[in-house]
Amino acid sequence: MTISSKHFYCLLAITTATLWFVSVQAQSTSDTQHYRLFSMGGNRPGYRDFATSPLFYNGTGISLSTTWLKRSNERERSIDLSLRPGWVSAQIPESDFRQPSSSAFFLQMSFRYQQLRKLKSVSNEKQNIKIGGTFISTQNFRPNPNLQNNSLGLENLTNLMVSGQIIRDVSRTKERTLNLFICKPKLKPVKRDLRFQLNAGLLNFNYRPGYAYSRAGEINGVKTNPLSWQLSNYNWSMNGWRFITELEWITYQPNGNARSWAYVWDAAHAPGKFEAFQVANHNIRFTYYFNSKKR
Amino acid sequence: MKNILFVLCTIFVLSSCEKVLLKPNMGSKDPLKNFDYLWEEVDKKYSYFELKNIDWNQVKETYRSQLNSNSSEEELFNVLANMLNELRDDHTNLISPFNISQYNIMLTSPANYYQRTIDEYYLPQPWITGPFNNGFLDNNQIGYIRYGSFLSSFTDEQLDLILNRFKDTKGLILDLRANGGGNIFNVPKLLGRFTDSTILAGYTITRNGPDHNSFSDREDFKITPYDGVRYSKKIIVLIDRGSYSATTFFSLLTKAFPNITLMGDTTGGGGGLPNGGQLPNGWTYRFSISQLLDLNGNNYAEDGVAPEIFESFNWSDLTKDEILDRAILELQ
Repeated sequence: MTISSKHFYCLLAITTATLWFVSVQAQSTSDTQHYRLFSMGGNRPGYRDFATSPLFYNGTGISLSTTWLKRSNERERSIDLSLRPGWVSAQIPESDFRQPSSSAFFLQMSFRYQQLRKLKSVSNEKQNIKIGGTFISTQNFRPNPNLQNNSLGLENLTNLMVSGQIIRDVSRTKERTLNLFICKPKLKPVKRDLRFQLNAGLLNFNYRPGYAYSRAGEINGVKTNPLSWQLSNYNWSMNGWRFITELEWITYQPNGNARSWAYVWDAAHAPGKFEAFQVANHNIRFTYYFNSKKR
Repeated sequence: MKNILFVLCTIFVLSSCEKVLLKPNMGSKDPLKNFDYLWEEVDKKYSYFELKNIDWNQVKETYRSQLNSNSSEEELFNVLANMLNELRDDHTNLISPFNISQYNIMLTSPANYYQRTIDEYYLPQPWITGPFNNGFLDNNQIGYIRYGSFLSSFTDEQLDLILNRFKDTKGLILDLRANGGGNIFNVPKLLGRFTDSTILAGYTITRNGPDHNSFSDREDFKITPYDGVRYSKKIIVLIDRGSYSATTFFSLLTKAFPNITLMGDTTGGGGGLPNGGQLPNGWTYRFSISQLLDLNGNNYAEDGVAPEIFESFNWSDLTKDEILDRAILELQ
């Protein structure tokens, strides 16, 4: 379904207002932890833009993000900003004569807001299950000089997602000795969580080019902004899907901070109005949790 | 151990998910698949089928039969290049690692520009200001600017300097012969120096549907006056068949300028904005997806913009540039 920019921004405003209203209802409880998270890791991005090529572009990159997280036993709220720059190249079949090649820079910038509440009926002391919603907006920037006048790939994926999270307490409660034959290290008790989160797109918006990708739009002398000119035929559509899953192993430190390793999979299919864009990221990242309100 | 196994299994399952959710890889070196892909892309988006009276289905019949699944890459390239050349459009190229196809419209008419003649007999010591060779002709009565490519960027200060030098001249010659085009945004930047008011100078339309005559509404192409040094006396713009793409845009837009006259030969065309894309075998291509119209809605830019004054270069005497001589005469 194609929607006008006016309708898109209207829906966006309603969504934001709803999330804000819900968030102000969420009062801090005594067990609420306030964290600032800094993450970095390796990313394996892949995408395909049917408007310019039937080929997948895969490669490697890094991920950097910062998060404000408020987590309690009952609720959780987070705001996240992330950058994922990388280099990708086309998966071109083997040539019998001269092998073509095609590379592109691929930058993804995301803003994410999330709010979760505990499902008391299925949670217990060892396992905390929360559900809620996530708003995420990702802007892609992917220049590829091989594509001539279509060399600048830009699209926005904005999604309102339903989210479910399980945090399982996998703490080591007793001191344990590892038998490695040559040495026998003692492992002290430690608080640990295994967190799994699934986000599935409920309302999936995408901002994609028009029929011919490029367009000879209006030129108003030197006052024409080349970026506006480039985007003049872009449309918002509401279609496709997006899934984001996160599997995280969190180890807490005695000072209230924590660190974690996580695997994040983020995939989306954006049919747009004319030709589809598909993207998937496999991300392994390390995160340091700074507890900013220690109790 | 149980937890670690759970983590590893989950990662394995998630990383496999996209193979199920996304369509399979469509990369292929099969000549027929590549032929069909390119033919369909052109069919869906090329902008001049109707104007040039091209039967694209007939083109498919002619060329597809020249290929089979065992055709070599060279054979595929030749067939695809010949098919694209049926469009008679220099904005159409097939780019492989071993060759690039082009229609080369310049070769359809005699050349009308020889730089050595100007360097040796007209402007032996020109100023080279950014991309502009410039100097005085006819006892400092006429200014001459040579702009060889719209790909070359220039600054406002560079044009200020040149036009200030020429402020006391009777007229100006802007030589755009053999200028193969480039960045379309350099067109209004240069033309904005030659008007004191905003001019609606043309329109563009872009292919927007599967029918060969499906186009968007007209988009204005306006020229706004530069807020600084301008030149409003008589200007003669020299053009020929080597004046292509952005230079054709420039030439067509000058029709709305009362102080500008075109001289030389018809431009090479290239009134469509080219796109870009990639085949399943990794080769890339481009072709026109829009049209340029004049103020009356006439569509001739693709075949070239004719000058108001036709003149040609005489290659039997390289000491003279007849087109430049005529321009000087017109401005005296």
